[in-house]
Amino acid sequence: MIEVRNLSLDFGPTRVLEDISFDIPAGEFVCVVGPSGCGKTTLMRVIGGLLKRSAGTVARHGETVKGPARDIAIVFQDYANALLPWRTAEGNVSLALEAAGVAKSERQARIHDLLRRVGLGNHANHYPSEMSGGMQQRLQIARCLAQDPAVLLMDEPFGALDAMTRQRLQDELLALAADTGVTVFFVTHDLEEAIYLADRVIALAPNPGRVQDIFDVDLPRPRDQLATREMPEFLKLRRALFEFMQAFEA
Amino acid sequence: MTRIPSSGLWILVNIAVLLAAIGGWALFSRSGIVPPAFFPGPGKTWDAIIKGIENGSLVAETGETLLKMAYGWVLASLVGVALGAVIGISPWARAYVAPMLEAIRPLPASAVAPVAIVLLGLTDTMIVALIAFGAVWPMLLTTVHGFANVHVRLGEVNRALGLSRLDYVRKIALPSAMPDILAGMRLGLTIALILTVVGEMITVQGGLGSRILLASRRFGAADIFAGVVLLGLIGFLTNALLGLIERRVLRWKKR
Amino acid sequence: MKSIRAFAIPVALIVIWEAIFRFRDVQSDTLSTPSRIVVALVQGLGDGSMLTATGDTLAAGGLGLLLGSVLGVVVGTLFGLVPVVSRGLRLTFELLRPIPAIAIVPVAILIFGFGYAMETAIVAFACFFPVTILAEAAIRQVPPRLSEVSRALQMPLAARLFKILLPAALPRLFVALRLAVGIALIVAVTVEIAANPMGLGQRLMLAGSSLRPADMFATLIWVGLLGWVLNLGLVKAQHVLFPRMAGSSDAAT
Repeated sequence: MIEVRNLSLDFGPTRVLEDISFDIPAGEFVCVVGPSGCGKTTLMRVIGGLLKRSAGTVARHGETVKGPARDIAIVFQDYANALLPWRTAEGNVSLALEAAGVAKSERQARIHDLLRRVGLGNHANHYPSEMSGGMQQRLQIARCLAQDPAVLLMDEPFGALDAMTRQRLQDELLALAADTGVTVFFVTHDLEEAIYLADRVIALAPNPGRVQDIFDVDLPRPRDQLATREMPEFLKLRRALFEFMQAFEA
Repeated sequence: MTRIPSSGLWILVNIAVLLAAIGGWALFSRSGIVPPAFFPGPGKTWDAIIKGIENGSLVAETGETLLKMAYGWVLASLVGVALGAVIGISPWARAYVAPMLEAIRPLPASAVAPVAIVLLGLTDTMIVALIAFGAVWPMLLTTVHGFANVHVRLGEVNRALGLSRLDYVRKIALPSAMPDILAGMRLGLTIALILTVVGEMITVQGGLGSRILLASRRFGAADIFAGVVLLGLIGFLTNALLGLIERRVLRWKKR
Repeated sequence: MKSIRAFAIPVALIVIWEAIFRFRDVQSDTLSTPSRIVVALVQGLGDGSMLTATGDTLAAGGLGLLLGSVLGVVVGTLFGLVPVVSRGLRLTFELLRPIPAIAIVPVAILIFGFGYAMETAIVAFACFFPVTILAEAAIRQVPPRLSEVSRALQMPLAARLFKILLPAALPRLFVALRLAVGIALIVAVTVEIAANPMGLGQRLMLAGSSLRPADMFATLIWVGLLGWVLNLGLVKAQHVLFPRMAGSSDAAT
């Protein structure tokens, strides 16, 4: 359970986030959308403990977030920079387990299980430089899952990938989330992706970043790339979000 | 780093060109542009090398040179990497110490030789100290650079995973800095060889540097050339060896 | 603020150094105090001896730099224009390159004796190889579009070279020059320390062996200053001549 109350953040003289409040119950899949520069990535980083807030509180289970926590996993947009290029896929996933103090004998099994789950079972001995973008992003997700996280923060994770890979990873992510019950905070600029994935969509207005609207996504699970995207509720939300974005195009 | 073309045909061509160059050397020596007594050809040089190996002097002196070079270079590596890691990781240290280091960098290490002599005399210790002093700079500076430039994202991953300080250095910062560190070590090797020769020429107490300087005093040109060939070989082989190690350690880099 | 921190430790060290020697009234044949070193430096400059030595070193080093660089640019350009030659000579080149320039000193002594010629020859040898490599790279990195245009215009080789390729390669050639200047100074001083009785290197050795540590350190500092000023001058010149060159950092070793 993540509680954000009156969160504000300044970068020097500029107020970047203003009076943001919302709750995320455990297990919920929340997407955050907004025009470029609205502060959605910044908001994610504050929740992740990478940035310190200027005012307000961010709490988990009632305790203030003071810094990065081991059970909050962050999936960065620039996956290549977030992976260790000198370690194989196996080694990269292992890093999270080593950090958690998992005994060496246990590590092997868990690593291979995680790699299999993200579809990299046959690539355990490959270096990131030998993998495609989609594979590298999946590797980062695998490492994040190795942290056994309660919360998954994701910063436009599929932005740099092609459409086909993106759709496949969206479905894989949904399956993983359903399997593990992890809470997901997903930042994206792709409105349709946000609706497709989320239980709720937070629309952030820019300058300064503030919550303009929170939409409930009343679509059945499991989601389907074709069927769900044609449902009237989907289209209604799509229009609402597009209109929200339109206001800032001017 | 330039690599020798590895396709079969080109290897043959290169060998042929090398043999031609050696032939050119022989012709030049005989031509008299420079008195042949001062510029022996490959034949006389080879004879001098064989003679030196047979009476053991060349082998012993090569060994001495290599030993000093190794001591000095290893010492410089240890100090350079350790100190570089400490300075590179701490922004505080970087602000206070790095500019000072940058200022000393352009100073030719060999210019410190007289100071070394004054402090340590004409001894092998002086030579090793000189080598270490000269070779430490590229290693120190590249290591600082490597540790200071660990990608921001990796730093955040480190914080997110909650790694200990020691683990951060061991598992993230050091491997990340490795390309820089190895580049510095390679530069340090070149400097180490130069300073070994300089030191041996000044002290004239053993090693290839002393050998060739003494040879010049008695006009033993073939002996000089023999020594130069060996020094070139040392330079070539140590560099190649380090290059091989570098390629192995950095095999994860994109081909 | 930044520059204050940069000077904090060096200044502190100098003050401590001076203080230790003063308060303990240390007399030393091997070390000296910052104040005496400064005095020695001023004296050396004032009586002209430092400048004479500097002139000698710069003359021999400069001539060697010129010789080695010109040859290096010529050969490097050849390598760049005719890659076949470059590939064929690769092994020979790579076997000659690791020979430390200082090792050639005894040969040069035999041929030239002591003095300017010997030092010039060694400096030229030392500058030749790095300049050749950099010049070849500079020619190779000329955008292929430019060479195609020159060939389409059917320009004769000389015109192609001097009107298009060399001017396009000039910024990188200048960086090669900067590196060569650094090498030339270091090698010149080294030759003087090891064998040649002239210039700043000899001054250093004489001061050391005749137990004049203040003079020795003063000369050492002067050599460092010389290198620093030369590099700074060239960096400034580079910014003036080639303002749009990106990534031309003088941290390149």
